[in-house]
Amino acid sequence: MSSHREAPGISKDPVADNTDTYAFRTPNNTITIITNYLPVEAPAGGPNFYEFADDVLYQINIDNDGDGHANISYHFRFETRNTNPNTFLYNTGPITTLNDATWNRRQRYSVTKVEQRPGRRPKVTPLASGVPCPPCNIGPRSTPNYPDLANQAVKQLRSGELVFAGQRAEGFFVDLGSVFDLGTLRPFQDMHLISTAAAPGVDALANVNVHSIAIQVPISDLTRNHSVPTDPMKPEAVIGVWGSAKRQKGTAYDRDEDHRRYGVGPWKQVSRLGNPLFNEVIVPLDRKDEWNSVKPWADERFAKYVRQPELAALLPMLYPKTFPNLKALNGTERKDLVAILLTGIPAGPIKGFQNFTGTTLADELRLNVAIPPSPTPKRLGILDGDLAGYPNGRRVTDDVVTIELRAVAGATYPLIDSTFKPDGAVTVIEDGTFKNLKRTFLNNFPYLGVPYSGYNVPAA
Amino acid sequence: MQPVSRRKFLATSSAGALGVAGAAAIGPMASAAAADDEPTPDQLAHTGPALLQVHDAAKGEVELLIEERSIVFTDKRLVARMLRASK
Repeated sequence: MSSHREAPGISKDPVADNTDTYAFRTPNNTITIITNYLPVEAPAGGPNFYEFADDVLYQINIDNDGDGHANISYHFRFETRNTNPNTFLYNTGPITTLNDATWNRRQRYSVTKVEQRPGRRPKVTPLASGVPCPPCNIGPRSTPNYPDLANQAVKQLRSGELVFAGQRAEGFFVDLGSVFDLGTLRPFQDMHLISTAAAPGVDALANVNVHSIAIQVPISDLTRNHSVPTDPMKPEAVIGVWGSAKRQKGTAYDRDEDHRRYGVGPWKQVSRLGNPLFNEVIVPLDRKDEWNSVKPWADERFAKYVRQPELAALLPMLYPKTFPNLKALNGTERKDLVAILLTGIPAGPIKGFQNFTGTTLADELRLNVAIPPSPTPKRLGILDGDLAGYPNGRRVTDDVVTIELRAVAGATYPLIDSTFKPDGAVTVIEDGTFKNLKRTFLNNFPYLGVPYSGYNVPAA
Repeated sequence: MQPVSRRKFLATSSAGALGVAGAAAIGPMASAAAADDEPTPDQLAHTGPALLQVHDAAKGEVELLIEERSIVFTDKRLVARMLRASK
């Protein structure tokens, strides 16, 4: 998955598991950034429905000068409370507003902006506190008008940002069941080393939810010179984005009679997410926890896995005679993937476009904010000529599995070497989920769809 | 959490795993000599939780986790007393 349960350590700590990050241009010269946590929520997972953790520090980070360090971070901290000590229920009646007394288990959160300043202490600005989350989507009796409830939790801050934190329908789509069965792609499994008849892809995340933190910010708040760039070739037009989650170094239960758990000590990063699938597919299993613990500026140590990706070696082996050109390419440094994942694409290979942030190798979701939103978004983003899509930022509808699969298979190597001819299969290879995709995204903030209710999806 | 005396803190600490959770009743940490001093009231003023973690008992290396900070110090006598309390 993009980064759902992708590392041994974080797979045991779902409330801190940063699963996806999106960043894209939105109307009125704004950028929307979404980071997701709590992977693969079964909608019927009560009575303790899913929620953020009070002892986790959730962050959205922006690097606007290309050094792999966050210049701006938005911190989100949650507080949970029960309002009715006499019931085992999440809710004792329909919830129609965020103030209803029938809703027992509530979360609120604070938003703090932290700006790093060279040679000075960071500037810490509390933006809001006590912002309510919506409840989880329970069912038609408990949450009869869920879209309205969720809309009540979209808040415009006095400082100008729009925020939302709460449950959403999973936006990421992939055929997990096949790709983890020795790299099978159902539509092409007749060509697999262990072949079976070709079949349509299956969207393994079709009926699950996730918890999202979304913020919409004026572009001028994020660029290095506080401008709204209109020339995509200007360096200040590019920002790098990633999400992260931190826990305090020490965690303990308080006195025996009080089952409260608390954290103490400095915050340590336990999860992060810039480019989709980076930790999942690029980093070896033995180093995935390490990758989650370090900041993007330290990604040089993982660059060798991008230069010689394991998946590129596996494809010709798993699909014999299908990828001869890729097989011949393997052993060559994959500068195309280094550009896409670690530095941004420099000026030159794609006319009128760059999202290069310099020579620091850092896994960040790079967004050229001078590229306007596409009126007709294409699921393959830049691979299909749509410069407003991945790997220029990431929209909720981008088919990142196919984009990255084709890139690793050689589709983007001609950007580095125009004499290289990708294998014919590269233009068609995919996991097949998009063709039968049954997702509903929103056209406005927070963009990810209404979460599935436990009543309507009793068995995810 | 009630402030506790240093003596009580050490006596009641659970040092079996070389970790101690309790009130921040530890005063100056810089030296073993300072650790023997009676704590002053302002040194006991902290009301939040703190954790002590012994990294290397032989070296007397201890890490204090308090608020959002980590303070590593060496105090062989403190470590020895903690380990004695576990016996």
